[in-house]
Formats: sequence, C-alpha cells, structure tokens
Amino acid sequence: MAERLISVSDLTVRFRTDEGLVTAVDDVSFDIREGEILGLVGESGSGKSVTAKALMRLNADNAVYDPQSRVMLSMPDGGPLDVLALRRARDMLPVRGGAISMIFQEPMASFAPALTVGHQMVEQLMLHTSMSRKAARALSIEMLDRVGISEPARRFEQYTFEFSGGMRQRAMIAMALSTRPRLLIADEPTTALDVTIQAQVLDLMKDLVREFGMGILFITHDLGVIAQTADRVAVMYLGRLVEMGGVRQVLRNPLHPYTRGLLGALPRLDALDAPLTPVPGDIPGPLERPSGCVFHTRCTEKIGPVCAAEVPAHVMAAPGHGARCLRLDRAREAAR
Amino acid sequence: MSAPLVSVENLSVHYPLGRSLLGRAPVLKALNRVSLDIPRGAFFGLVGESGSGKTTLGRAILRATPITEGRIVFRDGAGEIDLAEMGRARLRAYRREAQLIFQDPYAALNPRMTVRDIIAEPLGIMGLTRTRDETDARVREIAAMCRLNLEHLRRFPHAFSGGQRQRISIARTLVCRPHFIVADEAVAALDVSIQADILNLLKSLQKDMGLTFLFISHDLSVVAHVSDYVAVMYLGTLVEIAPKHALFRKPRHPYTKALLSAIPSLDPDDDRKAQRLSGEIPSPANPPPGCLFHTRCPHATARCRSEIPELGDGGDGVRVACHHWKELST
Repeated sequence: MAERLISVSDLTVRFRTDEGLVTAVDDVSFDIREGEILGLVGESGSGKSVTAKALMRLNADNAVYDPQSRVMLSMPDGGPLDVLALRRARDMLPVRGGAISMIFQEPMASFAPALTVGHQMVEQLMLHTSMSRKAARALSIEMLDRVGISEPARRFEQYTFEFSGGMRQRAMIAMALSTRPRLLIADEPTTALDVTIQAQVLDLMKDLVREFGMGILFITHDLGVIAQTADRVAVMYLGRLVEMGGVRQVLRNPLHPYTRGLLGALPRLDALDAPLTPVPGDIPGPLERPSGCVFHTRCTEKIGPVCAAEVPAHVMAAPGHGARCLRLDRAREAAR
Repeated sequence: MSAPLVSVENLSVHYPLGRSLLGRAPVLKALNRVSLDIPRGAFFGLVGESGSGKTTLGRAILRATPITEGRIVFRDGAGEIDLAEMGRARLRAYRREAQLIFQDPYAALNPRMTVRDIIAEPLGIMGLTRTRDETDARVREIAAMCRLNLEHLRRFPHAFSGGQRQRISIARTLVCRPHFIVADEAVAALDVSIQADILNLLKSLQKDMGLTFLFISHDLSVVAHVSDYVAVMYLGTLVEIAPKHALFRKPRHPYTKALLSAIPSLDPDDDRKAQRLSGEIPSPANPPPGCLFHTRCPHATARCRSEIPELGDGGDGVRVACHHWKELST
C-alpha cells in the first residue's frame, strides 16, 4: 500500500473574534496517501480552506488549535513531523513550499506583479533546494514546458500581466511542482477559469500526479470536478466532515442527508427536465452554530429532538466509506 | 405566434482602444453583427466564456452601453420601438419595462438602507405610488412573491445570507412590474444548495407574472435547466441558437459540442476527453480572420480560415454559424 503522506486527526480550529470564539473546523480527521487525490467539497463557510491552511499553519494569528489536534506529516528524511507543534517560522521552511506546496484560486494574487515569472520560480527553488541559479533556471523552463506553456524560455522572462488566466494557473502549477513537493494543496484551482480551460488544467493535474506520485488535497465546491479528478471525497458542512469515502461510493450511494441534498440541488445535463430540489433553509451564520448535528436545522430526515442534542460519531457503512449521521448510528445499533 | 418581445438585428458594439494620430483608432469588437429574437414569455439562456460578449449584449438591450451599429426592437403594448433611436422620455419609460438582476447580491444592496427602502426605491424614482401606504402595500406584495419573510423588511442587508440577499434584489427588480428581465450571472455567486432555490423562484416568477427573461450565464448546466431557448456566443458572435432540447440532444456547432463535453460529469467513469479543445480563447482586440473559432476548431479547413460563416438554418428550429455543421453531424 502506498505510503501515508499526511495524517490529520481531531483537528479543531477556532478563531478569536470580537464576538467571541468562532468554530471554523470541528473534529476533522483524514489521511492522504502517495499518488492519491482527496477531494474536499463544501459550500462557503464549511471550513475547507481553514482545514487546508492548517496543514501548513497558514491560518491568521487569531486561529486557536485545540490541544488534541494533530497534523502529522511524513518527511522524506526521518520520521513524522507534527506541523501544529512547530513554533518558529524558520522551522516551517521544510514544510511550506518544501514538503507541501499550495496553489490558489486566483493566480494573479499569488504572483508578484513587478517581478518576472522566471524570477519568482528561480527564487523559490534557490530557497528550498541547494540548486545553482543556472540549474534552477533550466528546471523552471522545463517545468513551464511540462505544463504546456509554449515558448517557455520567452515566457520565463515575462510578467504575469502578459499571461492569460489559464496560462497563469499553469505557471502556478509549474512553480508549485518544481520543488517536488510530496503533497500539493489545490484550493479551487480551476474555479476562476472558463470550462474549456478548466478541462485542460484538470487533465494536466491528473497527469502530473501519475508522473510525480505526489498526493493532492483538492478543494472545490464543484462535485463534477470532484467526480472527474478525485479518488476519495470528504464532504464538509459547517466545519465538520460529514461524509468520506471513495468517489464512486459517495456520489452513487451518498450516506449523509447533506450529501444527498447537494446532489439533488445540482443541475445535471443527463436529466434536463428533472426538478431542482434546494436544500431547505439557509446556511446558519458563524455565530449561530447549531447544537448536536450541525445539519439538523436544514435536515429533512432528522429524528425528532435527538439530532439537536447529540453529536453524531463517524460511522463506517462500508469499507472506506462512512458518515456522521445519527440515523446511521441508530441503524448500526439496531443491527447489533 | 405573436411577434417576439425583443428583436436584435445586426447589432455591433465596438469599444475604442486608445487613440491613434494616423489612420483609424483600433477598436475592440465586443459584439459583432449579432441577430436574435427573444420570444414573449420565454426564458432565453445566453452562454459563453469570458470575452464572448454575453454581458455586452445584455447591457446593449438595456441601453446601458452605446450601440455602434444595428437595431434593437422592443415590442410593448404601445407598439414597436427601436431602442437604438429612442429619445430620453421614451428611455425613461423603457427603464420601467426592462430591469436587470446583478450577479453579486453583496455589492448590489446599499448597506445603509433597510430591506423595505431598498425594495421601495424604484417606486419613488419612477413616481409609481402616491402614498406611503400604497408603497408599503406594493413592497409587501412583491416581497411575499419572492418568498421573503415580511418581518425582515425592517432589517438591513448585512443580516442576510447570499440567497436571501438575492431574493431581496429580485424583489427590487420586480417592484415596478417590468415585462423583461436581464439576469446576468444571477446565481454564479451562490452556493449550490441555495442556487437551486433561486432558479426555481425565477422560473415560478416567469410563469406567474408572464415575464420574459434573458438569462446570461457561463454555466451550461444551469442554463440547460431553466431555459426554453439557448444562444451560444464566442468572441462577440453567435455560433448557435436553438430550442433547449435540440441544443443539448444534438449540438451542431463544434464549439457547442466542445463546451458541452468540457462540463465535468458527475459520473466518475464518464470520460469525454475526446472532444477536448486545445489552445486559448483569442483576444477580442485581435480576433482571427474567417470563422472566429477556427484557431481552436478540430475540423477547421481553408474555407474556415478566410470566410466568415453566416448564422443559417440547422433544422429543428436551430440556427448555426458553421460552414461544415452538416458533414460534422453525420
């Protein structure tokens, strides 16, 4: 079995605000293995980006990690490293941009506008590796070529404003992968792109995983993108991981009412006249976090007052496929 | 069949790109010789990627951007008017007939006004109600139609989620009883679970109030669900217009086919890589000659590189602008 790259357990992140502590991520656990794409889906406020940033400790200074939270990263040399136990920025260097690279939704915001693309690619290679400037330049141009940018040597000397949106995202992928990270975090990498360009970038990312054997945490709100890229899926709602399993398991046999709700609300091209069923109600605000199961205020399948009182545990329904729903929990108990 | 509510004829919108001392200044052809009819009471979908001119077309029909060439005919109860030739008084009346729903419900609502005042504002500007009671009654009626909680009318927009805000902006759009609505990416900023609710609301308003919609979106699966007709745009031109089912069952234009196959399917085992487009969308400031799509089209021939295809009959009520659609569909 492929090596486990990162292991997140009991991750809870709160933010100190003027209105008090706001829970953004609540008791989340998952692993990512070598060569695996884990899709993390959720709507706005579900905590998917905060979860991703916690893996590199990139959350703002007012973030509070619960003491039992663990992010264990397997390092190429030596044993696992607890990212959350690192204190100094210097200690983070092997993690950020070393073992883990990240690409974002808006590539324009991730590049400095006043420096050439090449300058920025070489700079990070020299920071993270012992490569010479000449070797870094050669590798950067090779990477630009690998991600399908034509005339890479000329593009290397250009600024990001001279690139189209799709090209900027390719350049960001080239830059993120040139240090050969073991794990890539991709936060909505294709959301700002047109569909025909999105299709090209998704193909590219799948090819690169196959070639480099790294793991990817792929964050998106688009279940179609998940279906076409991920091996496994984790569904988040209000900071909690409500369902996790293989991509076919989750999309074909969803266990959690929220996952079923999302699938029912989605317009599908294979059923043009099927009615769209919205998930009833609105997503509660961060300061009105529901008790018990966080989804009970919108759930059409809740069991009386129990769901408002009891926090559901993660129950496995099939090998590798489980959800946090009290209905599953009760069904399992009844079967005993 | 009655005459279409809106007829666009050979419409062009060009924006100047800087000035030139010698010769003609360069122009960006945001919209180039576009013709289409929007039937009364229809939900007319307009799709395209960035730079396709879909927003410009919506804005031109609302007379929110200057028209370079062509005609836009609007047929209301009083007869036909050419929007391009319309005077100020006529334009004022038209503003009441035709309204816009914006993409971003966070930016579209004034944070210092109550929901009631936001919805009532168009009534005051157009002088449609005389007393405060009359205004209140109209606001409450329209708020109820948009499924807003009447208790919330006294609150400010910051208290609401994205979906509720979009319902507020729809209520404001409808309060002066328009007949024609341009919805420009009206659900693009919303979460999936909320998006379905707003789409259902727009559809029910179309039926209950007899509205005609121009629904602009980059998302083909959303357009597929709500529209009766769909027009596909590429680089400022129309490539295909068709009744919804004809378009999705049997797309004619190679670009429409590519667009459909690029939508990520919910089935993990569905691999439609075969139709993948290579290359990027050319800049509208420097469009290619001939068929604008030839630089990315897998079927392009010498004719495509020199001759601009006209929008012609494609059977089943479809109109398509491609030299080779017939050979390609066999």
